[in-house]
Amino acid sequence: NGYYSPLPFNLFAAGASKKRSASAEVLKDAEYSVTSGRETLCPPEKPLTVEEWKKLMDEFADYYKFEEAMLMQMVTHKSHIDVAKSLLAAVANRDGNIPYNLLVMYLSFCVSQNEIEEIYDVYDIMKARFKTLETTAYGLLIKGLSGTERWREGLKLLEEIKKVITPSKANYGDCIRGAIVNQEINLASQLFREMLANNVMPDLSTIQTLFDTGRTMKDDHMKTELIHILFYLRDYQVYPGEALMQSIKQWFESIPGENWKGSLTTMKKSGRCPSCNQFLESINLSPGEYSTLKEKIIKDVIQGPDIFRKTTPQELEEFQAFVNQQPPYDIVVDGLNVANFNNRSNRSQTLRDVVTYLAQQKPRILVLGRKHMLNGTQQWKRNNMAAIQKIADFFFTEDISEDDPFLLYATLHSGNHCRFVTGDLLRDHKACLSDSHTQRLFFKWQRGHQMVLSRYRPEKIIKFEPVLEYDTIVQTTGNTWHIPYDDNFLERASYEVPIRWLCLQQK
Amino acid sequence: SLMMPSKAISCRTFVLSTWWNKNTSPDATEKIDLDGWKQVMRSGLQEDAHKGALETEEDNKRSLETKEDSKRALETEEDSHVAATRELIEMWRLLGKNVPENISEEQLKNLMECPTNSSKKKYLHFLAVKECVKKAEKIKQEKKREAKKERMENAKENGDYELPNTFLMKFWTKSEDNVYNWRAAQSMIFGQPLVFDMDYDACMTYTELKNAVKQLQESEGVNRRATDPFHLHYCSLKEDSPFHKELIKHYGEAWDKLFVTVTEKSHVEIFPRDQLVYLTADSPNVMKTFDHNKIYIIGSLVDKSIQKGVSLGRAKRLGLATARLPLDLYLQWELGSKNLTLNQMLCILLTIKDTGNWAEALQFVPKRKHAGFVDTMSHEINTRRKAKMYERL
Repeated sequence: NGYYSPLPFNLFAAGASKKRSASAEVLKDAEYSVTSGRETLCPPEKPLTVEEWKKLMDEFADYYKFEEAMLMQMVTHKSHIDVAKSLLAAVANRDGNIPYNLLVMYLSFCVSQNEIEEIYDVYDIMKARFKTLETTAYGLLIKGLSGTERWREGLKLLEEIKKVITPSKANYGDCIRGAIVNQEINLASQLFREMLANNVMPDLSTIQTLFDTGRTMKDDHMKTELIHILFYLRDYQVYPGEALMQSIKQWFESIPGENWKGSLTTMKKSGRCPSCNQFLESINLSPGEYSTLKEKIIKDVIQGPDIFRKTTPQELEEFQAFVNQQPPYDIVVDGLNVANFNNRSNRSQTLRDVVTYLAQQKPRILVLGRKHMLNGTQQWKRNNMAAIQKIADFFFTEDISEDDPFLLYATLHSGNHCRFVTGDLLRDHKACLSDSHTQRLFFKWQRGHQMVLSRYRPEKIIKFEPVLEYDTIVQTTGNTWHIPYDDNFLERASYEVPIRWLCLQQK
Repeated sequence: SLMMPSKAISCRTFVLSTWWNKNTSPDATEKIDLDGWKQVMRSGLQEDAHKGALETEEDNKRSLETKEDSKRALETEEDSHVAATRELIEMWRLLGKNVPENISEEQLKNLMECPTNSSKKKYLHFLAVKECVKKAEKIKQEKKREAKKERMENAKENGDYELPNTFLMKFWTKSEDNVYNWRAAQSMIFGQPLVFDMDYDACMTYTELKNAVKQLQESEGVNRRATDPFHLHYCSLKEDSPFHKELIKHYGEAWDKLFVTVTEKSHVEIFPRDQLVYLTADSPNVMKTFDHNKIYIIGSLVDKSIQKGVSLGRAKRLGLATARLPLDLYLQWELGSKNLTLNQMLCILLTIKDTGNWAEALQFVPKRKHAGFVDTMSHEINTRRKAKMYERL
């Protein structure tokens, strides 16, 4: 279980959500442990004669798509090709024809077993029989042909697909592999660029093929191409898996005369790499990025298509005036979220404890809440609320308004040093942002500024998760590269980042 | 002589095991012509090939003719795209994918305007399902017609063809409609107003808009058949807006004869503000009783993407009172959103107006969404729990 104890632990670290749901998972597993009762066909071990198939088909006369299901089972059972052929022979004998869907199934069988001669035969028959094919068959043919001497025909098929729809990443990947196997590097990189231009995200295995080829060819053009890919990974925050990471490492180490040395590591909390002692890129946004983000948050998250959905113009104005009057804050607290951290303790007490704890280190604190917190109920005791108001500023929104957008605004308004406290992942607000670039900016800012309460016991323990100082992204300083990668055994949610790194340095 | 394969043990059906025990001699493989089917496929071709050659000749001639006209050449490029799409769909059908058999020019145009591959696939699936439903309906009608024919013939044979002696003429739907229309007309003078706020064109996709119009049509029908109908107002319905166009398309000539007040004005311009109550599932206020002096507003919005607080936002902007149905008080909610369709809302409001009984009115909430009505005991606990939940938010 060593994979689940990453250091330093953080809400956004890979595997965190998995760990949180671990106990729920156990229950779920028990519930679903009963295997499904679906019947399966088993393909015969040896080819059957026409008569034998005929008897079998009669027996299964009411079975939906018997032939297709049988062929599919042959794929999963890795049957011998003669068995599949004997089935087609029986169908041809019965109907004098083999329908298209069965041909495609047979093709997928041949592709899965890499029976090149058969693929050629089926392709020729299809070409002669049908004027055009469709995406499934094209995909299979491209895959089947890519490793053979007829790989160029795969490119033609790719053109056929393009006439009607955008080819998939697998289609492009297979063509690229075909081009690489046949030493057409320019063609491969041209296809790769075309794929990116069409907004098709490449498979990690496709990228891996390119790096693996780079190792065998010592070519400057190829080198720029691969560096370009690394920057693509950086821009789109794509993290390589373990296999691709190994390929990248080996490629670097194989560049002649540059003397790269790669090692696997996890970062220190401060962002210093233990293997090369360099600091990673800071998680703070540049001033330009910061102002873009601030603008977009106001426009997309708070105002949105209709400002009345989340608040009212009066309330926003009142809030802006309030924030502008005050000097910048050090910490902004989401009162309701923090108060609800522990179900068993009194809400106002929790909030009071946390704010008091924070006030010991940072003087300027803003607590956001809703008006109902002031009503003096059992959960919201007046004396606690009064005590908090002595050490921190308060802003109460209407009960009907959303408080999170105000939290974001107040924090951004106070400047880069200001942090906010909430356990909320803020995914719905991230989703309100109109473009993916700003969403990535928001996520980066969130990781660098969000404080998450990790443990609390009334009057005893208050602990926060560490806020990371460095950005988890593919990065370079010229003579070093740092590449975060996904562990094979660690499931990572979309709002988490990897914790393992590949450090490359030039000696 | 045949071994039991190890893989087979994991399988549950064993129909094939009889085959292994029987007559497969080891040299059976040699008797089977494994590649014979390829010959069959190719030989079938040679017959077709002759026809094909003739056709291609004709095609060539045709294409030469088209080339003469340079303007057409441009068109053919687009045509070839259309043709390629048609062929792709046909091949998908052969593969067994769920795509329509026949596709019209307009549908094909819509298809090519779909921005992503997945939206194209969804549209095709939609068309296929529609086609399937239509076909099934046609078959059903055919059967009905035949059954009727048979019945008539039987009646003829048996001789009970005489006209019955009755004190009433047959009551046709036309006279029924007359009665309903009288009532609707009456409601337009004396009835309690009920507003449909139509200012939501911008929040809906075309599909959602079509659904909204269908639900409106249904609501109007239900209202007309009620003993004491509402006086329906379609407010903020701008001339030539998508909503207006779609309504006219659906109603046809009947649109102008509808006993409904249609206006471009907003509800706040027609009615006093303090009488209006906006019904929305996002409202913090629960509707406890039906007030006969209030004018309730329903937003004509079908919202499949769940945009939060759209109608609540509108009510807040205009400073109107809001309310939601007391669903949690009376029903053990299980799944699904608490937004109900327009016709369900209307049925509920009609019933609560006539009876004042929520248990009866909430019969119209779809059964799949709740596990049943709450009894009073657990009801207490439930409300207390809900109150806590609200505080936590």
